[in-house]
Amino acid sequence: MALLGGCATNSLFVDYPSQARQWKSSLASEATNPAVDQNLKKAASGGDGVLYLQELGRVSQLNGEFAQSREAFASAINHYDETDAGARIQASSLAASGASLITNDNARPYVAPDYERIFTHAYQALNYWADNDVTGTAVELRGAALEQQVAANKREKEIAKAEDDAEENKIDLNQYEGYFQGLDAVAGQVKASFQNAWTFYLSALFWEAHGEYNDALVDYKKALEINPSANMIKEDVQRVSNALKGRKPEDGMVAVLYEQGFVQPREEFNLPIPTVHGVFSVAFPTYSIGNKPRPNALRVLDSASQPLGETVVLADVGALAAKDLKERLPGMLVRQTLRATAKYNAQKKANDDFGSLGALLTQVYNLVSEQADRRSWLSLPAYAQATRFSLPQGQHTLVLSTPGGNATLTVPVVDRGLTVIHAVAVPGRLITRVLPVQEGPL
Amino acid sequence: MRLLSMLLLGVAVVLSGCASKVDYGDAQARETVTTDFGSTDLQMIAAKMVDDMLVFPPIVQMTQNRRPVLFVDRIKNKTTEHIDTESITDTIQSKLINSGKFRFVDMTVVDRVREQLDYQSESGLVDPSTAAQMGRQIGAEFMMYGNLSSIVKRDDSTKDVYYKFTLKLLNIQTGIIEWTNEKEIRKTRSKSLFGL
Repeated sequence: MALLGGCATNSLFVDYPSQARQWKSSLASEATNPAVDQNLKKAASGGDGVLYLQELGRVSQLNGEFAQSREAFASAINHYDETDAGARIQASSLAASGASLITNDNARPYVAPDYERIFTHAYQALNYWADNDVTGTAVELRGAALEQQVAANKREKEIAKAEDDAEENKIDLNQYEGYFQGLDAVAGQVKASFQNAWTFYLSALFWEAHGEYNDALVDYKKALEINPSANMIKEDVQRVSNALKGRKPEDGMVAVLYEQGFVQPREEFNLPIPTVHGVFSVAFPTYSIGNKPRPNALRVLDSASQPLGETVVLADVGALAAKDLKERLPGMLVRQTLRATAKYNAQKKANDDFGSLGALLTQVYNLVSEQADRRSWLSLPAYAQATRFSLPQGQHTLVLSTPGGNATLTVPVVDRGLTVIHAVAVPGRLITRVLPVQEGPL
Repeated sequence: MRLLSMLLLGVAVVLSGCASKVDYGDAQARETVTTDFGSTDLQMIAAKMVDDMLVFPPIVQMTQNRRPVLFVDRIKNKTTEHIDTESITDTIQSKLINSGKFRFVDMTVVDRVREQLDYQSESGLVDPSTAAQMGRQIGAEFMMYGNLSSIVKRDDSTKDVYYKFTLKLLNIQTGIIEWTNEKEIRKTRSKSLFGL
């Protein structure tokens, strides 16, 4: 099993979270692990390529390998475009669906959910930003906003379609409602799986620094709409509204983008269905509230230990993931029910043709092959947070304080400019990076 | 024997099916692989801009007896794609120079030109009678600049992209925009129902 896990390039028999443990734990040390990159690159050419590309992009970015990260994210974005452009009924995906009927949902090629696509564009923007490519950053930030808009438009249609499918196959979705209460708890207050205030906040900061107050106001307002109680964003809206009227702030702005921990993986629970021929285990993915990390803030202090700011949660990624899973459930339940029937028929045939030994073998196969689809981008943070404060022009020494460790940084501040500190807390390490100052017109 | 030949035939079919083929195509052919900004868009924009500019009456009048000097500022990319806008202005610039009505100075090579001038005047290696002299370059009279923006709409079955390219010619001394034009492009992709 360990051998399989080391080189698995799909999740058919080795569940994805145990594969992801490899690259997640490699981030704890500063030295990059070439074996991890190699494995991810190899897996990127498989059916679930886009998922591994996302992981590779993220892991490379955190290791400071921006060129590799940019390449990986660009390939992932190409994948999205191909998926979008593909025919609605594809022979290859039909074959995969057929395979998934006798194995499990992991045989279906991974399709990145909208919240992951949005993060890809945001991280790609950070790659261009780190390279001080202002046009490239702007393009990716627009891409992130476009994804959110498209997701909002198509969401309702999709859910309606899945319910139609259920009706067609005479499957009562309500009977499963009780099993997925954990999902609702994890999803919490999130209204839709794709609404990401953090990426809107990132783009708003960027537009504001370049004097594009109109765009900044729109994005701050969208972030506020998603997080209506955030006082910080209310102030931002006020400030940019004033700037539009000609009252522009003089000082420089420092923003801290703080990403906390790793998003929790999907869990599996088995729903055993007894029949006269044996027990059928039907595996479902889910999330449980007990394993969800709690948010903690990053505090920023100046060199005299005076507090400057404290981050607030703008995107609860675990909740987005849970909400996404909940939105996909109707479709998954339909497939699982069909699969249980297909496997039951195989077992029944084995019993009829080969007696009890055949039945036992198929039963073993069914138990082994039944794995819940636990694939999701696991190097994403559990919480994406941000704060911002203004400082006079010059060099400033700041202390970033988190429960997992502190960091002291000296950052440049330019009047009417924006200095962004990207801080990522992974278990055992606080990764910090100061991005090039943004100022002047685009 | 028959089985073997059948097998060979099968292998040949499979092999030829996999072999990729390289061929030359027409550089001016309509390219509609995706809705992304492509070569046909670039060519359409450049052709439209140059044709329009060369027949605009005040420009015809201005270029009757002299060849005004221009410089290309840049085209702002305001789309959701990474587009090399310099390549659009390069095509426009080439077409305008070839029309024989305009001359250009290139701001992207200023540093390297300065290096060469320094070498010619200061290194002592160059015959002073053939060395290019400092301070004799011609100042540009007009600045060319513009915008490329896009609106993208997408749902499950279609993607619609609207591009708008705006080009302006500004008189540097007076600040007057002497000419401007825009080119709109709309591309729509609808998904096929079946595919591999």
